[in-house]
Amino acid sequence: MRTSAITKRPVVTLDGEDVAQIKDVVYSAGGGAVGGFTLAGRGLFAGPLKQGLAWSSVAALGSDAVMIADEDALEPTQSVLDRSASTGGSGGDILGSQVLTDSGTDLGTVVDVIVEVSGADSGQCDVVGYEVEASQALGTKGTKVLIPLPDAVAASGEHLIVPASAKDFVGQDLAGFGAAVEAFRAQLRGQG
Amino acid sequence: MQWWGWLIVALVVIALIVGVVVAVQARRRRGGVIVDPADPAGSGPGSGES
Repeated sequence: MRTSAITKRPVVTLDGEDVAQIKDVVYSAGGGAVGGFTLAGRGLFAGPLKQGLAWSSVAALGSDAVMIADEDALEPTQSVLDRSASTGGSGGDILGSQVLTDSGTDLGTVVDVIVEVSGADSGQCDVVGYEVEASQALGTKGTKVLIPLPDAVAASGEHLIVPASAKDFVGQDLAGFGAAVEAFRAQLRGQG
Repeated sequence: MQWWGWLIVALVVIALIVGVVVAVQARRRRGGVIVDPADPAGSGPGSGES
């Protein structure tokens, strides 16, 4: 699913209480997975909250809501961010960042991030691809395409580096993209 | 100015203030995808401000 489909989704306790809505998706320190979320309040006049939500506290990521056990699952936003921080990166929002191959080709700019919940009971939320506004290098300049990612991926707020072979597995829509990701990762494992 | 003129002015001012507040808060609620949020200066719109 696209992260844009997750943001603004309500955070609901298993008691049925609507406690917040998702604001930002936070990449985990190792890359390749979602570490947690920052939250905003519900309602027209509500702004960002001081509380965040670690992925480990998510009971379920449903199509209409993010479920948590109770309000104790929330924790200070800063601790969620600190746990997801790595060293050396510039930090920031990757939407709008440039995607480069490791051979230096510009593939486009990120307009969305594709994630996939793997394992039963919301085991892990993997980042499996970027949706980018394609550059000339992909031959479909200006269109939105999906680029698969390796298991772990280097990401900073400025440039996102992907293996050059990712170009061969570019998809047009989410249907079938999972297979493209699997094939791409299998190819990388074969090379390694 | 008639009393109803002042009333209209007051209502317009209130509507403008409410509109601005709603727009600002909607902008602050806007989401993103944050990586490496260690650098507070670079954490952008998703820095967890409150």
